[in-house]
Amino acid sequence: MADRPAGAEIPVATAESPAREAWRMFLRNRSAILGLVLLAAIILVSLFGPPLYGVDPFKIRGAPFTPPGVDPNVPLGTDHVGRDILAGMIGGGRATLAVGASAALMTVAIGLLVGAMAGYYGGLVDEILMRITEFFQVLPSLILAMVLVALFTPSLYMIAIAIGVASWQSTARLARAEFLRLKELEYVKAGRTIGATDRRLIWVVILPNALPPLIVSATLIVGVAILFEAGLSFLGLGDPNIMSWGLMIGSSREYIFDSWWSATFPGAAIFLSVLSVSLIGDGLNDALNPKLRER
Amino acid sequence: MSVIRKNFTPAAVTAAIGAGLALSLAAGAAAATPKRGGTLVIGSPQTPRHLNPAVQSGVATGMPGSQIFATPLRFDENWNPQPYLAESWKVSADGLSVTLNLRKNAKFHDGKPVTSEDVAFSIDTIKKNHPFKTMFAPVAKVETPDPHTAILRLSKPHPAILLAMSSSLCAIIPKHVYGDGQDAKRHPMNLKPVGSGPFRFVEYVKGQHIILERDPNFFLKGKPYLDKIIYKINKNTNSLALGLERGDIHLRAFNTKSRELGRLKKNKNLVVTSQGYAAIGPIAWLAFNLKHPILGKKAVRQAIAYTVDRKFINESLHSGLSQPALGPIAMGNPLADPNAKRYDLDLDKANKMLDAAGYPRKADGTRFQVTLDTLLSQRDVAEYLKPQLKKVGIDVKLRIPPDFPTWANWVKSHEFDMTVDVVFNWGDPVIGVHRTYVTSNIRKGVIWSNTQSYSNPKVDALLEKAGVELDPAKRRQIYLEFQKIVTDELPVYWMYGLPYHTIYNKKVGNPPLTIWGTMGPMDNVYLK
Repeated sequence: MADRPAGAEIPVATAESPAREAWRMFLRNRSAILGLVLLAAIILVSLFGPPLYGVDPFKIRGAPFTPPGVDPNVPLGTDHVGRDILAGMIGGGRATLAVGASAALMTVAIGLLVGAMAGYYGGLVDEILMRITEFFQVLPSLILAMVLVALFTPSLYMIAIAIGVASWQSTARLARAEFLRLKELEYVKAGRTIGATDRRLIWVVILPNALPPLIVSATLIVGVAILFEAGLSFLGLGDPNIMSWGLMIGSSREYIFDSWWSATFPGAAIFLSVLSVSLIGDGLNDALNPKLRER
Repeated sequence: MSVIRKNFTPAAVTAAIGAGLALSLAAGAAAATPKRGGTLVIGSPQTPRHLNPAVQSGVATGMPGSQIFATPLRFDENWNPQPYLAESWKVSADGLSVTLNLRKNAKFHDGKPVTSEDVAFSIDTIKKNHPFKTMFAPVAKVETPDPHTAILRLSKPHPAILLAMSSSLCAIIPKHVYGDGQDAKRHPMNLKPVGSGPFRFVEYVKGQHIILERDPNFFLKGKPYLDKIIYKINKNTNSLALGLERGDIHLRAFNTKSRELGRLKKNKNLVVTSQGYAAIGPIAWLAFNLKHPILGKKAVRQAIAYTVDRKFINESLHSGLSQPALGPIAMGNPLADPNAKRYDLDLDKANKMLDAAGYPRKADGTRFQVTLDTLLSQRDVAEYLKPQLKKVGIDVKLRIPPDFPTWANWVKSHEFDMTVDVVFNWGDPVIGVHRTYVTSNIRKGVIWSNTQSYSNPKVDALLEKAGVELDPAKRRQIYLEFQKIVTDELPVYWMYGLPYHTIYNKKVGNPPLTIWGTMGPMDNVYLK
């Protein structure tokens, strides 16, 4: 803090904006940085890898069951059809991450809407919305997602929607709790007395303050959604026309005893992305939690 | 006998068993060396709906069904009919009647004798309920002059009749059990079957196991050798392979996983063989919905044929374990045409044909999009076809069904563009081949009928003629002509004979390797 500009008007040591402070806290967490670097690497490879590598992941590029390191053309080997595992690894990330991110977005959108309404309005609205939430909460989410995907033709959109529909309940609960707490605070009451509309109070006054725990939970949901996509594909309910890591594992699992590599590499990729997302989530949790700041 | 011999390694045992099996197959006499007793454990991934093969086709019912129910005849590994429930039979010169002389000592598992009444009842039930309508269609009636003689009167000659009376196609079911007026397809005793085969029913737990035990009153004296047969059901084929390697499972049939077979072949305790499937004649093909505006054009189908590389499928995808299928009749069958029109890989030609057919490549390099469905078991081939057809600009959208019924629904309601399918020949073309190509079998709602909606009056006429031709040489000529037409018009594109393999432990003596394999009676099988 020594290099604070000389003209700083406020002489308090913690005068940074909350976001900057959180970022500083986040950077102090080494495992969170590892997660961030990992995720950045995965995203970069997924975005720029396919055009750079230039191989259609569905294309047959060698003899089926070529082990890694045998054919320089296919450094990670081929699967049971002869498709390039490396191309699948590079190209499959997009779909997996897209499903993860959009499913998390779906989850937060539904969860936030339901939780905010229930928490803010309370009373009958709360009762009804929470009963609905509980109804979804008691359904095993993987099975619910399976049913949704099997009912409609498996496609990436359907999978993202299914995961969203199957896993928004905890977010709703969290949002409701935050809204219940925040709506009684003075600045909200003040807002109300000066005639702010409900809509303004919910989205502009309360929401920004309710966000930190929601951001943490959304991050963790990305990880869960990636696993979900892999699980659905593993069970044969993935979209067979879009390469994803889950699809690679799903179509190779029959051959797991005969070619370890075709399921192991995408499995490792899924493991690393879920790990990176979880580490980031943990880091965010620490950074956004005021009680932990002085640790 | 030489065919069987090669599957045993120690030379001394080979000669003894080879001779013994040949003898037993030829004369129905007891083999010299087999040991009595023991429980044979067979692994299978399929759960049969029930165990009555008289009203249900397919492997899952056929395997245990052939142990529980005896048939009038059985076949050896060289397509020769052998006596079974009928100790002798006679086909009249005009081919219009078949006389069966039944064994006098044959009894059902409940102790009641097997009579000609039961034969007449069974054939009638099969005719009415079995999915293979052509099998007994020409049988006008079955006469029963005495309890041990049954005479089948045919409305027209029917060269397939002897085969139709053999294993898994003509289970003789007791009239006093199944003839109580209930719907045969849903008869409660289909789950607790009573037959006259070498093994009687003990227990069936769906998805778990089927237990059969030796029938002490079986009509072939001294048979069967085994005390028990247990069919262990496990959907996970990897577990079945592990079971074989550990020795928990003695035998597993209908395995097509080339990589796994390669691994099992190296196991000192196991024998892997492709023998025992001659009568089944499984052909995997790419079926086209001819009602589709683009796939309805012959040139498009031929272009697709030129794009599919059979050699790659056989040699790479199946590691050399499958054989190409060149036409509608399985290659092992003498009626098959070895000189049928081939569509060897030729991408240039395919591209030109598609251009000429009016489907030029668009800016993105594709010509048109079609969906491709697949039976789950042939998923790898569908996965191969997607990038392969893309090479000529056909954008294939895969539809992988979550389960078999979903796929069957798509195909039988004609709601598909293309699908990978496996259809069995069932020994004689009349039973397994005609159904795919005759106009009269375009039946919505029936799987493995003419779901392609293929219709050619000339083919209809030829198959009609072939179905009644008794002279084998003339019959072959008719089938050759038929094959010439369909291999040009391609209502389906035949890709490969399914690489079915049986894996058995070396402890298994007289493994089931006749044309019906494990779908034939296993009264000769024993454990060393």
